Amino acid sequence: MDSLYLLIPVALVLVALGIKLLLWAIDNGQYDDLDKEAWRILADDQASTNKNDKARENNDD
Amino acid sequence: MVTDSCLVASVESESCFHCGEPVPTGALFKIEISGESRNMCCPGCLAVAGMIASSGLENFYQQRTAYSERPDASEPVNAEQYLIYDQPELAERFSQQETNGDVTARLLLGGITCAACTWLIEQTLSQVAGVQQAAVNLQQSRLDIRFDPRELKASEIFARVEALGYRPQPFQISARREQLRQEYRSDLRRLAVAGFGMMQVGMFAVALHAGDIQGIQEQYQGLLRGFSLLVSSFIVYYSAGTFFRTAWRHLKQGALVMDLPVALAIGLAWLASAWATVTGTGQVYFDSVVMFTFFLLLGRFLEARVRQRHAMTWFDAESTLPDAVRVRQEDGWASVARSQLERGDTLLIQAGQTVPADARICSGQSAVREDTFNGEHLPRSVVPGDIIYAGTVNVEAALEADVQGSYAESRLAALQRSVEVAETEKPKLAKMADRIASWFVAGILLVTSTTAIVWWQIAPEQALWVSLSVLVISCPCALALATPAALTSAASALRAAGVIVRGENALETLSRTTHLLFDKTGTLTQGTLVIHKVLPLAQLTEAEILKRCAGLQHWSNHPVSRAFAAIDEPEDFTEVNYRVGAGLEGCYDGNTYRMGSENFCRQLCPSLPPLPEQPFYWVALCQNTTPIAWIGLNDQLRTEAPEVIATAIAGGLQVGLLTGDSSPQGPLLARQLGIKDVHTGLEPQQKMQRVQVLQSNNAVVAMVGDGLNDAPVLSLADTSFAVAGATDLARAQADFVIVGGDLGAVTDTWHKAKACRKIILQNFAWALGYNLSAIPLAATGHIPPWAAAIGMSLSSLLVVANSLRLNRRRHNQEN
Repeated sequence: MDSLYLLIPVALVLVALGIKLLLWAIDNGQYDDLDKEAWRILADDQASTNKNDKARENNDD
Repeated sequence: MVTDSCLVASVESESCFHCGEPVPTGALFKIEISGESRNMCCPGCLAVAGMIASSGLENFYQQRTAYSERPDASEPVNAEQYLIYDQPELAERFSQQETNGDVTARLLLGGITCAACTWLIEQTLSQVAGVQQAAVNLQQSRLDIRFDPRELKASEIFARVEALGYRPQPFQISARREQLRQEYRSDLRRLAVAGFGMMQVGMFAVALHAGDIQGIQEQYQGLLRGFSLLVSSFIVYYSAGTFFRTAWRHLKQGALVMDLPVALAIGLAWLASAWATVTGTGQVYFDSVVMFTFFLLLGRFLEARVRQRHAMTWFDAESTLPDAVRVRQEDGWASVARSQLERGDTLLIQAGQTVPADARICSGQSAVREDTFNGEHLPRSVVPGDIIYAGTVNVEAALEADVQGSYAESRLAALQRSVEVAETEKPKLAKMADRIASWFVAGILLVTSTTAIVWWQIAPEQALWVSLSVLVISCPCALALATPAALTSAASALRAAGVIVRGENALETLSRTTHLLFDKTGTLTQGTLVIHKVLPLAQLTEAEILKRCAGLQHWSNHPVSRAFAAIDEPEDFTEVNYRVGAGLEGCYDGNTYRMGSENFCRQLCPSLPPLPEQPFYWVALCQNTTPIAWIGLNDQLRTEAPEVIATAIAGGLQVGLLTGDSSPQGPLLARQLGIKDVHTGLEPQQKMQRVQVLQSNNAVVAMVGDGLNDAPVLSLADTSFAVAGATDLARAQADFVIVGGDLGAVTDTWHKAKACRKIILQNFAWALGYNLSAIPLAATGHIPPWAAAIGMSLSSLLVVANSLRLNRRRHNQEN
């Protein structure tokens, strides 16, 4: 049971890392538009065929 | 097949496939989308849908969750008006040059209704040569675009976006918008930290509770408690700090708000647990503290998100004015930015353009549509010497006019100021939660102190712990969640039904409404003239008459001519002559025809019978000296309007009509609908006075409107609705925005608000009941910490589950 003295601080460090990552993502604007992202993950697949066709026709760069 | 996957495309053929407004009878705007022929309501929708279909983006119609906005066909896409944004001094306001030569620009887009709109815009723009990246932020209606200025001009981006049916304008950073963004992010940060902390402390708590039951060595109990203290201290400081600040701010003003019991419960439970940890006695409630914090923050975050998603604070009256204006200079007309206009400059205002500043006409004759100020769509005739106002639309012919003053001195700016004044004068009804909170706090403090005194008599060493457990048990978690959960659930149900909830506290206020006031034109009526009656005066069939009318009206851009735009196969007229303020003259089959006002036609044809008596807008048609017909035009009532009024009256609401129109149409319409309280010919300020009179008699007023002229009164009323097709400024002021074309949403929302109030009351009843039954147990010292934690969570879950009932479909119909 003495391992608790090591494992709990290690867990806390990991949590602190996780929080830091999440706060970074929030400040980076990754959660600014929750509605759109939730929807886009479903939409892109259907659009991609369409977009690729168009891209081949129109895009010259 | 398409309609199956499309949430909004209705199977009925009467509503426009693009915007959802009813298709006028006889209108034939058809287009093939995904292999099926679709009906459109107007040339504007037809153009936009055609553009979308021809770019291969039909998927948009399957993906969207709300109808698109109806594009304004009266102001055709005109790439020229955007050329001004290519000028460096204007461009630097919304764009900046990157080091590699690319330009990033930010545009504000009007008319975005759902996530599929962002997809459509991004897809369209990313196919344009020169665009590196295009991303639309749905919450802020903002387009961020990076493009190569050598291949593409900023003005072309504006024109592309407008061709899709959205209204682009430069995105300007406002302090308010920045603040909203900051608040959103800090809410999210607090919530995230509380979530992580809750999981950690919860883990320790499971070990501690297990230890309580089967025994635990003191050293490990101390260790776990110590780490719980560490983590929860951080959570209380970082995440729950906002409750303490709000409670203290209100307490200083002598107000007891919901945050006070919350702050008390969190603070005292944490203090007691910390004391227990340090001294190694008593019980700890760290898990309850952090769980409570997390649930509350979650509830508030969701509630704020529903509101902020459709915040439109950035639309003001000035944004309706064009940025580019034509001004006379020594060497002819030049485009300059509106902000550079000075008093005395001579403007050129083409037909169809919005007047950019208050000005006096120096040459030209036309008519201006002043719906900005009176809500009416029929224009006023103007001649040299007359003043025209910023924000009105020149409909007939080009005008030259001298600028009378800056924007700040204009009538439009005065309107904007009265909107701002109205906002501050809007009566603030106290939130139900806060009213209950003040009683609750008083009750809890009373019970706790009684418990402490009683236990002091019986067993002094137990007094502190028992009174603490009373405080923790009465922790108002469910109570604090009761309102946000119900409001969020009701708002999302309304969203699915095509109503956006924006106002804070709007649903609660709406449920207490006593007076429901309507604007007339554009709200109760369609807002456009349609042919109502044809009185033939010669041997011609109705169809023949209308074909000739359409042939003539084809040459005009007066609002009247739009009533004839939908007629098939108009006859070909030659030598058509347009007389401003009178009518049209043209040749067909060797005969001279005149169509227009009574006087104008009588000049050619003295035998024209007198104006019919019915109160329509009449135009005459005559062929040489033979009268052919009187055609009666009318602004048609929305088909659902009678039902809405009837439902409201049956539901016990006082219904009234406030209109800027001074014609007999208003009272006639009111009689037809059964509205008794009618006020006509009102200026925006007079509408506000009417509402203030009602409010001073303790009425709770809900206002329904659409125009710029309604914006101040929408802002003043306790709650307000903006209907489909409303101007941006009206939407920005309204608590509820009706996205679909159905006026029935007004009463549906009212029913939903009442249902929501019922659910909130049930939630309160449960939360208070739970507390009342648990407090005696706690006061007698019978509740261990783990039971308190479970009780609190279950009671909160029950409140949330009860609130979700609001989201059930067809709830209204059952009631």
